[in-house]
Amino acid sequence: MANNLALSVKDLKTFFYTNKRCNKAVNGVSFDIKKGKTLGIVGESGCGKSVTASTIMQLLPKLSRIEEGSVTYYSDNGEIRIDQLERDGPEMRAIRGEEIAMIFQDPMTALNPVYTVGYQIEESLKYHTDLNPAERKARVIELLADMGIPLPEKRATEYPHNYSGGMRQRAMIAMAMSCNPKVLIADEPTTALDVTIQAQIFNLMTKLKTENDTAIMLITHDMGVIAELADEVAVMYMGNIVEAGTVDDVLRRPQHPYTRALLDSIPVLGRGKDQDIKSIRGATPDPYERPIGCQFAPRCDFATEACNVMPDEEFLSDTHRVSCARYKEIFENA
Amino acid sequence: MLTFILRRLLITIPMLVAISFLVYLGLELTPGDAVSHMINPEVANSISPEQLAEMREALGLNKSFFERFSIWLFNVVQGNFGHSLSGGVAISTIVLDRLPATLELSIFALLFSTVIGCSLGVISALKRGSPTDSALTVIGMLGVSIPEFFFGLVAILIFALNLGWLPAGGRLLPGYDSFFDRLPHIILPGIVLSLMMTAGVMRYSRSAMLDSLSREFIRTARSKGLPEWRINLIHGFRVALTPVVVLIGFRLPTLIGGSVVIESVFQWPGVGSELIDAVRGSDYPLVMMIALLSVFAVLLASLIVDILTALIDPRVRLG
Amino acid sequence: MSKSSLDRKFDRIRALEEAGKLKPSSGSRALRKMMSNRLAMVGVIIFLIILLSAIFAPLLTAHDPMKVDLRSMLQTPSMDHIFGTDRTGRDVFARVLYGGRVSILVGLGSALIAAFIGVGIGCYTGYKGGLVDTIALRISEIFMSFPQIILVLLLVSITGQSLMNLIVIFVFSGWGGMYRLSRARMLSLREEEYVQALQSFGVSTFRICYKHVLPNALGPIMVNITLTTAMFILLEAGLSFLGLGVPLSIPTWGNILNVAQDLRVLQNNWWLWLPVGAVISLFVLSVNFIGDGLRDSTDPTMQG
Repeated sequence: MANNLALSVKDLKTFFYTNKRCNKAVNGVSFDIKKGKTLGIVGESGCGKSVTASTIMQLLPKLSRIEEGSVTYYSDNGEIRIDQLERDGPEMRAIRGEEIAMIFQDPMTALNPVYTVGYQIEESLKYHTDLNPAERKARVIELLADMGIPLPEKRATEYPHNYSGGMRQRAMIAMAMSCNPKVLIADEPTTALDVTIQAQIFNLMTKLKTENDTAIMLITHDMGVIAELADEVAVMYMGNIVEAGTVDDVLRRPQHPYTRALLDSIPVLGRGKDQDIKSIRGATPDPYERPIGCQFAPRCDFATEACNVMPDEEFLSDTHRVSCARYKEIFENA
Repeated sequence: MLTFILRRLLITIPMLVAISFLVYLGLELTPGDAVSHMINPEVANSISPEQLAEMREALGLNKSFFERFSIWLFNVVQGNFGHSLSGGVAISTIVLDRLPATLELSIFALLFSTVIGCSLGVISALKRGSPTDSALTVIGMLGVSIPEFFFGLVAILIFALNLGWLPAGGRLLPGYDSFFDRLPHIILPGIVLSLMMTAGVMRYSRSAMLDSLSREFIRTARSKGLPEWRINLIHGFRVALTPVVVLIGFRLPTLIGGSVVIESVFQWPGVGSELIDAVRGSDYPLVMMIALLSVFAVLLASLIVDILTALIDPRVRLG
Repeated sequence: MSKSSLDRKFDRIRALEEAGKLKPSSGSRALRKMMSNRLAMVGVIIFLIILLSAIFAPLLTAHDPMKVDLRSMLQTPSMDHIFGTDRTGRDVFARVLYGGRVSILVGLGSALIAAFIGVGIGCYTGYKGGLVDTIALRISEIFMSFPQIILVLLLVSITGQSLMNLIVIFVFSGWGGMYRLSRARMLSLREEEYVQALQSFGVSTFRICYKHVLPNALGPIMVNITLTTAMFILLEAGLSFLGLGVPLSIPTWGNILNVAQDLRVLQNNWWLWLPVGAVISLFVLSVNFIGDGLRDSTDPTMQG
């Protein structure tokens, strides 16, 4: 069991200290990412999913810090506690790009506009491999070709603004995959792209997962994407994981009121205009004025006084866990 | 690239014609008319009225306003800028005589302020919030707030009059014209002239650098595991460079303007101090022509800046 | 592991936050940021001190800035003459105070008029677009391709020296920057949806432009007004120093400095030029601090 783990996060807390306030952006989050599997993390914007990703890569802004918990990376040479490494120190740099790579939401801004795409991919190879310049060039072209970019020799010498959005995201993936990382973190990789391009990017990611045994952490706010790509899911709300499990567990047997509300708010194709789409009432609370207990309580239809205490995590099965004080009663009524 | 330059030139030429027209208008409004300045006043005084009338006829002074303008413009394009009212020297001679000194001073200041300003700005941005950053910010603020000539006076008092290390003014003494004879003369005016621009470049490159460092591609670069120096310089500074070059281009007129006052303070024999003398002596043709030439210099500089930005930034090259 | 000062600061904030002692701040964010900006506050204080002492000059000094007193020429600073006296026995302190009135009037006045004209034209033509916009843009380009001081010198040589001429000339040479700035803001703001909504309601162009859109561009305009004021004060000082600005009979900061062109004065009579130079520098510095503070407080992208 343990040897197919790629990365595990335990009780992670990451707080932000901007404007002389403390924002508990990630407040006790645990999950594992397994080799050759995709973990989907889903939630509304501001729920802490991107911060979790940045924490794993230690790409946090200056005015933030990891408070508690651990991020463990299972490398070929044993376990590495990422949270204990110096932020931009040599050990952390050796992991970034080589062991854990990341692709970002907006490929328009994530590439440096003044360098050619080939140069930017080559940079990774230069710092993580022993290849000589000629070999690096060949590898760049090979990578671009693998990502389905036509005319890779020509494309490598072009600038990001010559690329379309989908092409840029492919180039980003090529860059991330250049050193065969064990873990790939994809932070909303298709949000900025057209739906047709989305499918191509997903196919590419599935291919990488099966061929290279890469562990993927996929961050999204789109339940549809989760259904299609993920093996496991964690649902985040206001810095906590409210429910987690396999895709079957969470999408077919949702236990937490928030998960259900999310699922109910998605229109289903083919059900026509009359379908009953429920929106979640209220808005996400001000991160500085958090509810005392369950973070979702103020917006929850089932909230009672029991919800004024932070609920414990309960395991329904080996894989399925939920943090809700009343999930049993609610489940019975439903 | 060539079409880019040509297109850019095509925009500049109508501007130059329009500005020439305004300058011409100025010459027509001030005593004497533009074309008559083409005659050397010394000559005009020594010849008979009949001969003068003939010359006026020959120069087309009796023709209509626009014809006179085209005659004048034609002369100017050929390098005949007319004559100064005092002494009747050809303006082109005066300018050619004075230009090397001004160029020397401006280029010194430009290089100094670009190199020092950029480096300090980048250091300040990288050490954001540190005591170094605060100190540089306050110094930069002082630099843009102290009047240049006042700074020049203090510098003269300390380094020339009291300490006697450097000469208080002038450019070179007759007979001493090797590089090392000149160097002491340019240090004070050069540094004083650079001061304001250095401060400006520093403040600007700091904010351009901060802006560049906050962009997404910096995070991408960091996620690739690149060392910090490479993230800051190869990625951060390279992108911050474009706005800095544009700013330096925009500041060139200020530099040319600043040299007017500084040249006077240090009795530097350049175009600027000539201009001040011309304004004092109401030597209109000389004032107008120097102004016209300064516009020409500014437009030329902005053309160079545009070409430079296109070279630095691949996005501009195509657009 | 030893804790850095940043860590200690974080601990403190976290402890306060968890004790529920931190409250969401109220009031205008821009004002709050301005108030907490120490340099900007220092700027405001210096600015007010200099401005008020110029305005209330008669209360601060009994001396007449114009009165020639040949018995007390070139006196060093004393209790009676705080900054000493000049070559014709005039009290330098009084001249600095009264000179401040003119210099600030020229600097601030020209900047405000230039802003009024530049913003007025820029907003309208930027919003309207089309031919008016192109014409205005070209005209401003012509003005802006002159180095400012050369344009000013050119106009001074044509019109001759007087206080009124100088203000008009400054406005002439300074409206272009304001125009460009407000036009650029307008070009981006007019694409906003609320403007399109207003258009669809049939609100008049004039009203949309000045009542609805202009307030959104005020931040950068205010910053630019402060910077232009600083620039004009420096320009006036430079011109008058060379004897080409305000006529020498009127005391201004630049005119007081005019005597320092003489190297003997420079070396022997420091009180004639050093205090006034310092006052100009301080005043311009304070204006720049205010401008910077305004920029930081009105720029929503600045956090911290």
